[in-house]
Amino acid sequence: MLAEIGLIAALFAFIAAVYAIIAAVYGERFARSEAMVRSARNAVILNFILVTVACLSLEVALMTEQYQISYVWMVSSPDMPTIYRLTALWGSQAGSLLFWSFLMSAFSAAAVVFNWKSQRRLMPYAIAYMMATVAFFLGLTVFFENPFERWWALPSGDFVASAFIPAGATAPSISMLAQSANGLNPLLRHFGMAIHPPMLYLGFVGFIIPFAFGMSALASGDLSTNWIKVSRRWALIAWLFLSLGLLLGGRWAYDVLGWGGYWGWDPVENAAFLPWLIGTAYLHSVMIQEKRGMLKTWNMFLVIGTFSSVIFATFATRAGLVDSVHSFAQSPIGPPMLTFWLLLTLIGFVLIIWRRSRGELKDDNQFRSVFSRESLFVLNNFVFVALFAVIFWGSFGAPIISEYFMGTNITLGLDYFNSVTAPLFLLLYLLMGVAPISAWGVSTVARMGRTLLTPLALAALSVGLFVISGVTNVWALLGYGLVLLAGWVAIYETYRGVLARRKAHASRENVLQSLGALFTRNPRRYGGYMIHLGITIIGLGVIGSMVFQQETQQTLTVGQSAQIGGYELRYDGLDTNQIADDGRIMDIANLTLSRGGQEIAHLRPRRDFFPEATDMNSTTIAGSYSTIENDFYVLLVNWEPISASSATFKIYINPLVNLVWWGGLILILGTLLAGYPRETLPARVRAKLELAPQGQGAD
Amino acid sequence: MAEISWEKPAAPSAQIPVKGNERWKFMVGGVLMLVAVVYMVVSGTMSGAQYFMTVGELVNSADYVGKTVRVSGAVDGNTINYDGENLVLDFTIANVPSETTDLALALHQAVSDTAAARIRVHMEGEVKPDLLQHEAQAIMTGVVGEDGVFYATELLLKCPSRYEEGVPEQVES
Repeated sequence: MLAEIGLIAALFAFIAAVYAIIAAVYGERFARSEAMVRSARNAVILNFILVTVACLSLEVALMTEQYQISYVWMVSSPDMPTIYRLTALWGSQAGSLLFWSFLMSAFSAAAVVFNWKSQRRLMPYAIAYMMATVAFFLGLTVFFENPFERWWALPSGDFVASAFIPAGATAPSISMLAQSANGLNPLLRHFGMAIHPPMLYLGFVGFIIPFAFGMSALASGDLSTNWIKVSRRWALIAWLFLSLGLLLGGRWAYDVLGWGGYWGWDPVENAAFLPWLIGTAYLHSVMIQEKRGMLKTWNMFLVIGTFSSVIFATFATRAGLVDSVHSFAQSPIGPPMLTFWLLLTLIGFVLIIWRRSRGELKDDNQFRSVFSRESLFVLNNFVFVALFAVIFWGSFGAPIISEYFMGTNITLGLDYFNSVTAPLFLLLYLLMGVAPISAWGVSTVARMGRTLLTPLALAALSVGLFVISGVTNVWALLGYGLVLLAGWVAIYETYRGVLARRKAHASRENVLQSLGALFTRNPRRYGGYMIHLGITIIGLGVIGSMVFQQETQQTLTVGQSAQIGGYELRYDGLDTNQIADDGRIMDIANLTLSRGGQEIAHLRPRRDFFPEATDMNSTTIAGSYSTIENDFYVLLVNWEPISASSATFKIYINPLVNLVWWGGLILILGTLLAGYPRETLPARVRAKLELAPQGQGAD
Repeated sequence: MAEISWEKPAAPSAQIPVKGNERWKFMVGGVLMLVAVVYMVVSGTMSGAQYFMTVGELVNSADYVGKTVRVSGAVDGNTINYDGENLVLDFTIANVPSETTDLALALHQAVSDTAAARIRVHMEGEVKPDLLQHEAQAIMTGVVGEDGVFYATELLLKCPSRYEEGVPEQVES
């Protein structure tokens, strides 16, 4: 029953999306019918409702253990805790595609509802582009990777998964299916894994709105800043989720994969990072178009490029492109996804070139000074795009070209990524330090130098602290210096803002009130500084943990201690065969960590064994003691059977690694601040402006 | 279509005189940076490129001895030997044909096929990965020694079989 409801809802959602495209374009372009465009809008909302129904029916099927549905059988099992049953919706290809369509549909419906009045002129084509994408993904769900297929027993005794009953087939017994159900990969049973995919998807999918409005501007010819205004906030929302998704992915790897790292330059990780790079470039360069009316063509390329790389990332990870480089697994959705990606990118770029050739994307101003803020923003964009290019080349370009044109398989390892991206990242930090204090239009080195003096001195002082703490590596110190400069500039600029406000309002406000007023008056600017501060803190964590990680292995007998990096680790014994709620059997080592003769923590690294699982049946869970200074990270590798009188541990000390997570938190807060809706005019005045024929309000 | 502009004009920046046309500075700067990035990519690719090979190619050619390569193969579970005290890991991988659609099946056949090319793998200082199982796909970076053993420095594993695909097996009840 649930399978039928879900399948029919998904099918009708697909039809509604196709109808919305036709009604929007035909109604706007040919029939000039307001009613038809309204009907297209309603179809977008209907599409959202129907996809929600489809998603919910699969979710209910998962919760009520309908193992006849092959997707439910594949991703869950009777012994699974409820939370993982809930998140199994995105546990494998078919379900996650449906979930992806759901999020995309939700974003589209929200954009249509919230921006209908203010962006009425851009709406028809925006609807068409949004619904074309949604229809494509729903089409994949319905026709290629259907999560509503059910198991059928053929007369021959074999099983097939099919949406419809094959001739002569009968439904297999539920108890048999329940017994053989797969369950979720133990590695994925982690809180981070439960929320990492939805965050990443929200980030990916959210870029559909800026993309659709950009395309609509190109298609309709309304190339004013309308599309920029509506897409910036959506892009910021998407960027927030994408950043969160990347951070959570790193955290999951750090906690679960047991190698003391969070980023491995794996092609799949890189694929998710690519849209982030282009999206970040867009969020910066869009400011130049708003302030100076420049880079109009470039911004179009970036906004279309961001969504294009989102689709590429989905294609690369889902269709097994990365695997196919390793000469494996082809998924049936590969060819349609590749076609869709190429088509979308081609249409976008052709539209840009067409509008530009008609002279409609002309800039209002010209570059006048190398050190003006707009020039530095262009440099910033250059670096982001260069990072995109080198990472794309390393993950996909070199392997694919070598496979198809040179008859060999070349892959680029960690050395390539570390050596090529490090200078570019450092250049970005330098720009982050210099650009905020440069002026629009024209600026000189002398002027900038004066403003930079204080942050430079502060950065030098903080580098001095690193030297005192024993860091002697010159490159690391240079890295710390550049990263810190960016952070100090962000703090210093905020301080100057507070100071200026205090001059004007000293009698009425205390410092905190001034800061609050600053944040509410100009959230974009000060939110941006907060994001820079977050990125600075992440940068410190990355340098510290990459350059100064210590690792060692030790075999300890009960009561014996190991010394490492000023810590003392004592082995107190092993608790074997502890059984957890979900049936896993845990062997837990008890360790006492001391520093300077003081006991500071009890660590319990463990090995979990999953008796029901046949293949991947154990996981190693690290024990760790975290401070801002470092993470003391221990893995239980091995132990003397039965007596457990001795055990072997692998120990990592990861300096500053927690700054990566704390910096991430600050980045999230900054993004929330930067995207906070702001009313510049009283609602009454705004309403009047919106009623006026060309009333687009003021910014 | 007429364009409507309601933007505030940028603040006048007349305090500092503009020195002629600075276009050439942008051009030179842009070209220099482009050259720098291309140089980094080329040199990075030259030094960082690793040939990705099958077990068969590696076993049948002496050209690769002593060079860093990547290799992929199917893990034979019976050969896994881990010395947990010294963190020394040994196992054997079998050649997987490069044209396959069903990875799980290909891995299974590779391990069962006694005629398939095999190579011994030796690795030190690592925790035995949880995913190192019978019929897992191992993707490794390392060097083939004179003794024909693959000394791995990096090991990635994939287990495609159970959590991705599969068909229920008849359970007698």
